[in-house]
Amino acid sequence: MVRRSPPDFAHYLAKKYMRTEMLPTAFCPGCGLGIIERAIIMAIDELGKDLWERTVFVSGIGCSGWIPVYFKCDVLHTLHGRALPIATAIKVCRPELNVVVTMGDGDSMAIGGNHLIHAARRNIDLTVVVANNMLYSLTGGQVAPTTPQNVYTNTTPYGNFEPNFNLMELMKAAGATYFARWTTWHFVQLKNSIKKAMEHRGFAVVEVVSQCPTYAGRYILGKPDPRDFMEWFKENSVPVEKSKEMSEEELQGKIVVGEFFKRSDRREFAEKVHTLIRAARGDSG
Amino acid sequence: MRVKEIKISEDLCKGCYLCVWACPREVLKISKERNRRGIRPPFPAHLDKCIVCRLCEYRCPDFAIQVITDEDERMLEGIRSEELRWYDRIRRRDELLEKHGVWWLR
Amino acid sequence: MYFLASCLVRILGRSFPLKKEKKLMIGYDAVTDAAILAGCRFFAGYPITPATEIAERMAEKLPKSGGIFLQMEDELASINSLIGASWAGFKAMTATSGPGLSLMMEGLGYAVLSETPMVIVDVQRVGPSTGMVTYPSQGDVCQVRWGSHGDYSIIAIAPASVQDSFDYTIMAFNYAELYRTPVILLMDEVIAHLREPLIVREDVEIVKRKRPSMPPEEFMPFMPKPGEYVQREMPALGEGYKVIVESTMHDELGYRESESHEVGSRTIARLWNKIEKNVEKIAKEEFYFMEDAEIAVVSYGCPFRSAINAAKTARKEGINVGVVKMITIWPFHDSMIEKLAEKVKAIVVPEMNMSKIVREVARAAKGKAKVLGVPKLAGQMHTPEDILVAIRSVAR
Repeated sequence: MVRRSPPDFAHYLAKKYMRTEMLPTAFCPGCGLGIIERAIIMAIDELGKDLWERTVFVSGIGCSGWIPVYFKCDVLHTLHGRALPIATAIKVCRPELNVVVTMGDGDSMAIGGNHLIHAARRNIDLTVVVANNMLYSLTGGQVAPTTPQNVYTNTTPYGNFEPNFNLMELMKAAGATYFARWTTWHFVQLKNSIKKAMEHRGFAVVEVVSQCPTYAGRYILGKPDPRDFMEWFKENSVPVEKSKEMSEEELQGKIVVGEFFKRSDRREFAEKVHTLIRAARGDSG
Repeated sequence: MRVKEIKISEDLCKGCYLCVWACPREVLKISKERNRRGIRPPFPAHLDKCIVCRLCEYRCPDFAIQVITDEDERMLEGIRSEELRWYDRIRRRDELLEKHGVWWLR
Repeated sequence: MYFLASCLVRILGRSFPLKKEKKLMIGYDAVTDAAILAGCRFFAGYPITPATEIAERMAEKLPKSGGIFLQMEDELASINSLIGASWAGFKAMTATSGPGLSLMMEGLGYAVLSETPMVIVDVQRVGPSTGMVTYPSQGDVCQVRWGSHGDYSIIAIAPASVQDSFDYTIMAFNYAELYRTPVILLMDEVIAHLREPLIVREDVEIVKRKRPSMPPEEFMPFMPKPGEYVQREMPALGEGYKVIVESTMHDELGYRESESHEVGSRTIARLWNKIEKNVEKIAKEEFYFMEDAEIAVVSYGCPFRSAINAAKTARKEGINVGVVKMITIWPFHDSMIEKLAEKVKAIVVPEMNMSKIVREVARAAKGKAKVLGVPKLAGQMHTPEDILVAIRSVAR
């Protein structure tokens, strides 16, 4: 339901960059997606007002798909898993735009896994924010490709027996050129990484381990309180530099955070396409 | 920078208390009364302790809290008219549908 | 003699251009040339027999006209990238065949709900499943109309010759812009690989995309003007219009309204009515020898070619047969079929499938004429004799 009059109060950033007529958001109390929204907004705000005017948001389905629909910006809220082909086309057609894709873990790694691999292979200049809550939450708490081992969910009533994805390794192999992972607890680092990802020319992925107090809280943490989640993130995250000195056993159950890689040896895809078009038309410039 | 007030939106706050948890100076407390949305909102119990670190803002997923300084006040004033123009569009749509009925259903 | 003359006038009448160039051309080449002439500057596809050649030709021709060709990772990506390109301000097209079209059905629904203009060329082959990949069929005629989930209406056009492929591709692009909807060009394997003389006309009418005339805060992206069904004005991304291209149910401004029955009914009805209430404007057909016909052969695509031959032979036998070529299949032209049923005593519908459109014809005829389907399966084309047998059986 769209509001007919503004809320009694909203944060300055919300008034400036969000459609306050759609607030409050559909997220549960304490959901990490709101924090990711703020990180994206602050990253663009710090990079300059004109960047916001050039930004297009594309999202898939899932709670994470709602991240940009509240943004006062061009937004495509697309189908489950299909955000990346749409974003690819937009970037190729209009290379001057800053295209930001927000996806969930199921959205990016399960149903949209193929598109993710191929977008990384192309090294197209997109900023992809993957909100990883380790579960399918919009549908009520089912196992995802990122759910920890032995966790009970609605579709793993005897415990999760499926191994999970490491998005970093996947993206590295597929050819992405920037990857960072943070939790919602690392707010400033997350914001800075999103800034770097936007400035980076190439396929940039920022994975955010985010709290879902409602379902992940119930099934994974055992406590449906966002404050406990924050404490958990604080205690269980290991910086990538430190993780190199740790053994496999020590890293069990830990979230390795940090900036994993940044490459500049691969050419960007949209630029290649337009170079080809110029050559085909016989333009030298 | 000195804090003038800490504004908390009644329409937007969902009562997750991440702000209360985040505050290093224990400025915020949870009110005993429920508001009209059935939520016991946080309130600034010790405003004098606030050091404008804005950690409560960073942790709030609902853009419901802001530490207001003189500068914040000016910025909020400056964008109000722009915000209202989008509400005008909704009002115009409603008026059109009221005036003509939903013409594409006929 | 009269009917032959009238037929000739009909055929020649529509091909007298101001400037013309006659060449021998193959079906898929006609489609790609026409698409580029119609302003198509984005093509995304995935190889699939027998539609691959369209992608191959586009890969070669598009960059020369400043257009973008992408071979995507699958058909899901193809159709979705069309949505992105279309909202980025490009006229977009893809080409596929049955199995690919099945994969595109999800994206088709999104294109319908987000009112995104695009053209999907479906070069039909024999199904179900992988089926017989190199043989023609008309098995997808109902899939394009009913394949995606939920209520929607759509425009589908079926060419029956190389000239048609050229003309109707342009028509498809124009309809896509006029009604802001995906349009499907229902070719089949035979038409795509047929070599025929083609008159390339330069004076064709091309509908350009309408840009918003209002500032962003006043512009309503999905709200038609009072009395109309379609908001023709469509902004491109990055122009400051701050549009929400929603796959969820939304209102006329684009705001997500997934829990309002009122807004939902309003939006679904608008999407339905913008096509169904404009059926008289959209639907096109050609009539051959219909002046004195007692029996009508209603056909589309390939079987039309056999139907014309069958009608001529039947007339020699003393049976007054006329032929209706349906150019647009969807939206189905109920009123035309009803009028036809009032005039003739029987309608014969030859189709290269197990009988699909014949059901629509029978429904629209409302029992006013006998309706007989002539199915032809597994990649065979109707011979004129096949249709003649049916004509003779209803003539008795």
